[in-house]
Amino acid sequence: MISCKELHVTFNRGLPTEKLALRGIDLTIPQGEFVTVIGSNGAGKSTLLNTIAGDINSTKGQILFGERDVTKVPATGRTADIARVFQDPLAGTCGDLTVEENMALAYGRGKIGRLSSALNTKTREIFREQLARLNLGIEDRLESQMGLLSGGQRQSVSLLMSALQPSTILLLDEHTAALDPKTAALIMDITSQIIAEKQLTVMMVTHSMRQALDHGSRTIMLHEGKIIFDLAGEQRANYEVKDLLNLFAQARTDGEELDDDKLLLGA
Amino acid sequence: MSLFSFLGTLEIGLIYGLVAIGVYLTFRILDFPDLTVDGSFTLGAAVTATLIVMGVNVLLATLAGTIAAACAGLVTAWLNLRFDILHLLASILTMTALYTINLRVMGKPNVALIMEPTILTPFEGIFGLPDMYMRVIFVAVCALIGGLLVAWFLKTQYGLAMRAVGSNKRMAQANGIVVKQKVYAGLALSNGLVGLAGALFAQTNGFADSTMGIGTIVVGLAAVIIGQSLFASRSMYVIVLSCIVGSVLYRLAVSMALNADFLGFSASDLNLITAVLVALALIFPKLRNEWKAKQAARKEA
Repeated sequence: MISCKELHVTFNRGLPTEKLALRGIDLTIPQGEFVTVIGSNGAGKSTLLNTIAGDINSTKGQILFGERDVTKVPATGRTADIARVFQDPLAGTCGDLTVEENMALAYGRGKIGRLSSALNTKTREIFREQLARLNLGIEDRLESQMGLLSGGQRQSVSLLMSALQPSTILLLDEHTAALDPKTAALIMDITSQIIAEKQLTVMMVTHSMRQALDHGSRTIMLHEGKIIFDLAGEQRANYEVKDLLNLFAQARTDGEELDDDKLLLGA
Repeated sequence: MSLFSFLGTLEIGLIYGLVAIGVYLTFRILDFPDLTVDGSFTLGAAVTATLIVMGVNVLLATLAGTIAAACAGLVTAWLNLRFDILHLLASILTMTALYTINLRVMGKPNVALIMEPTILTPFEGIFGLPDMYMRVIFVAVCALIGGLLVAWFLKTQYGLAMRAVGSNKRMAQANGIVVKQKVYAGLALSNGLVGLAGALFAQTNGFADSTMGIGTIVVGLAAVIIGQSLFASRSMYVIVLSCIVGSVLYRLAVSMALNADFLGFSASDLNLITAVLVALALIFPKLRNEWKAKQAARKEA
């Protein structure tokens, strides 16, 4: 379970370039719920995800994983609970290391790095088994350098890596945005499998309203650092992309039109 | 080249093999260009030589030199990590400070070890070997042990985490790796190896001098580049050992250039020769790839 209470994040505090990125987020995600997060550029989606992951320190407010207050815990201290997949396929893996070395790093997530060999027959067997799920033939390329794989393959591997260690929370930051439609569909498919298998609490940021409605059981929309609506259950089931757009227009008190091309194109 | 000067070249090459491994750790593994080594090489030598003259046990003195150099690496890492000073600049600051510190440690510009016991003393006359052979074998064993330990370390979970930090900090952090700790550890290890090389150099050559570290970084880098352009491999053992081989080859090349009478070089031309050799080692892989691409294109046509 993730709870955010009155979460504020301000960048460049006290400087002329001060920016209020999050302005009081109150959000509780029960264990096992899959939430999709939408919003225009600069709405604070990625900031929210990065704050939950611990990359960004909150200015005010509280974050809890279950009963545990993690507000002051640095990113590395949260990795026992959190697995992440980034938007950039190059960000989630090390191009200089081999496939198996990357997997070994993820396999050690949340553990203390020891002076024992990072790879052995047992772990290689686990990696091969996991990679075989992708049907991309990467299981036979364990010793290839990660940098030689295509973006889609790297993203697939980094998705598998996120599931190598037991975790309770999965944070997906537009993890299919940089891929071609076919690969994106494959990645989304494996994502759903992993989530179902591990009963994970998931937050997925997406630019596509279609994807936001098709996946998960709840959708929240951010605008200027606030949650402007929160859809779940039957109400959400009846929603179409155009309804989301209407809702967005209504929520804006000053009557500002939604002009983000990406949101519309994503529909 | 006489046998005597050949063995001397080999000896220095092997000692600088440790420097090359240290430079490989910072430049290639951590992606942290570290010029501290110019100072920490001398620091290792200065601390060791001073302690030996004071009558301290040679092993303890060598260990102290190594640890002092490792601490110099920690200072550079601290300046960079705590205060966001650019790594290159942070290391230049430490290196500059070390000039003074080295003079203070020795109390004078140089310390002679000619009549003092050294780490080599117990091996003198062993198996009836002449000293000049014994010294080469001794430093070869030191460089090999150092190299094998580093290669083994880089294959452990901790070492793998360090490589990830140099390759992709964000990914490392997302996988629970404490990035700063790995940078501190890497710089301490790197400078420790360089300090050990300095300590061995002082003991095999019989002196420590405040200017002996100048250019250490270039020599180390040359060795890494020569080694890696000759042995392209992904095995950590091959890579680390190629640093040592690169260092020896570099020394042999310099020595041959200086000794070839028809070239007319003198000892003071060392820096030009070094620069040209390093440039050649950097140019060679590029030209080789271009040539291979041309060959392939010709085959297709």
